[in-house]
Amino acid sequence: MKDKDRQRKPLARKDGLVIQELPDEVLVYDLDNDRAHCLNQTAAFVWQRCDGRNTTAQIARKLGQQFDCPVDEKIVWLALDQLGRNHLLERQPIPPPALMGMNRRAMVRALGLAAALAIPVVTSILAPMPAQAATCTPQGGACVDSSTCCAGLTCQASTCQP
Amino acid sequence: MKLSLARSRGQIVADYLGGSWRERQPPLAISPSDLELITTLLYDSGAAGLAWWRIRESELKTTAHGELLHQGYRLQALQSAINEERIMTAFRLLRDVGIEPILIKGWSVARLYPHPTLRAYGDVDLLVKPADYLAAREVLNGDEPGAWWVDLHRSLFELQDQSIDELFERSLIVDLQESKVRVLCAEDNLALLAIHLFKHGAWRPSWLCDIGALIESLPAEFDWNLSFGSNKRRAAWISTAVLLAHELLGANIDKVPVEVRNKQVPAWLTDAVLKQWSTLWHRDHLPIQPRPLMANSLRSAKTFLREVRERWPDPIVATFNLEGRVNNFPRLPYQLVAFFSQATRFVFSNFY
Repeated sequence: MKDKDRQRKPLARKDGLVIQELPDEVLVYDLDNDRAHCLNQTAAFVWQRCDGRNTTAQIARKLGQQFDCPVDEKIVWLALDQLGRNHLLERQPIPPPALMGMNRRAMVRALGLAAALAIPVVTSILAPMPAQAATCTPQGGACVDSSTCCAGLTCQASTCQP
Repeated sequence: MKLSLARSRGQIVADYLGGSWRERQPPLAISPSDLELITTLLYDSGAAGLAWWRIRESELKTTAHGELLHQGYRLQALQSAINEERIMTAFRLLRDVGIEPILIKGWSVARLYPHPTLRAYGDVDLLVKPADYLAAREVLNGDEPGAWWVDLHRSLFELQDQSIDELFERSLIVDLQESKVRVLCAEDNLALLAIHLFKHGAWRPSWLCDIGALIESLPAEFDWNLSFGSNKRRAAWISTAVLLAHELLGANIDKVPVEVRNKQVPAWLTDAVLKQWSTLWHRDHLPIQPRPLMANSLRSAKTFLREVRERWPDPIVATFNLEGRVNNFPRLPYQLVAFFSQATRFVFSNFY
C-alpha cells in the first residue's frame, strides 16, 4: 500500500540541476545533459510541489488556491508529462487510465478552452543566433550583397543603404 | 555619411540603455525598427539582460527582437546562477586553506543592479595577496573546481597606485546567498571599473552602465579623493568615466563633487565611444572578431591598405596606453605613435 501511495506522489529532481527563479518563470539548467529549460508559472508551481508527499489531487487543489480559480487535475498531469519528458522528475506517477496515451495536444484539448489558468509549459532554451531575429538586414547593417538587405536598400560599401 | 550613421546607431544604443540599471526604468522611446537595428549589438556585447529589462513591460517584448533579448536574458540568468555557485565554492576552497580572496568585477558589479541576473559576466575574477598566489592556484587547479575557470590575480593594473594590503583593508564583506564574500570598497571599485573601461576603449556599453549603477548607489561617506588616487592622469580617466556615464546614459551625478561635474568630456572621446557601440567589428573587440593576420595582407596593396585602416588605433586606447591627457587636443599624435609602435613590433616579429 505504501509503495502504491508513493507512486501517486511525484518527486522533483534536484541533483545536477541549477535553478534560477525569476518573477514570472523558473529557469533550470541540467548539468547532466547541458540543457536549459524554462518553466512558466504553472509548470513551476507544480514542479515545486513535487516533494514526494503531495498527490496530484493535492497539487491541483493548491494550484487552485494559489491562483484563486478551479483547477482540473489534468493540468497537473500535463505539467508532470512535460516535466518528465525533460528529465526534471525523480519519480513520475502513472497517469490515470483516462489520460494514458494522451499526447500533449490531446491533453490541452481535454482541458478545454475554459481553463482559467495558463497551460503549464516547459520549453527548452536554445541560444539563439541574433541573425535569426532578422528577416532582412536593416539600414546600416553589414552585407555582402543586396539580396540580404531589406526592401528599398542596396548593399553599398558593405552596408545596406537606401 | 558613414560616420554619422555609425554615430547615430551608437546613440540609439546609448539612449536605449540610459538608466537601464535602475529598478524603475526611464521612459522608453525606441521604435521597433530601431530596436531591430541594435539588437545584435546589444546581444553580442553582453547587454541582453539589460536590454530585456528595458522593454519587459512594453509592447516591444513580444516582437521577434524582444523575444531574442528575452532568450538572451534567460541564458544569462542561468549563467548567473551557475557562476554564483562557482564563486561560493571558490571562496570555500580558499578559506579552507586559510586564503582570503577579494571578488572583483563580475558578480561584485552585478550586485549593484536590481537583480544580479541583469548583468552578464563570463568568469570569476579573484584577487589574492601575492604571498598566497601559488597556494591559491594549486587549490583552484584541484579536482573539485573541475574544468571551470577562475581568473586569479595577485596584482591589479587598474589599481596599481594602491597596495594590495590597502585594498584588503578597505574591502567589504557582503552576502551572496548563504555565504559571505569579500568585494572591493566602493572607492576602489569605481577606480577599477573606470580604468578598465578605458583600457579597453569603452567598447562594451554595459561597462558604462556599471559606472552609472555604481555612482547612483554610492554611500554617503564615499571618499572621492581615495577613489581618484594619487596619480593625476588616472584621476582624470576616473572622473571622465563618471561624466561620460552622465552624458551618454543619463547617470545622476548629484553625489559627484562640483569641481568634477563642471568638467566636460572631450567631443572626440564621446564620438569614439559611440562609434565603438555602433559596431562589433572593431579589432579591439577581441575575441569576438579577431582580424586576419597582418602578414597575410602583404600580398596585395589594396588588402594591406584596408588592414592598415582597420587597425588604425582607437583614439581612446591610444591615449590611454601612451598615458596621454584627456583634453580637447586632437588625438592624431597619439594614434600615430601607437600605430608606428605596432608597425615596428610587426616588422620585428616577422622579419627579425
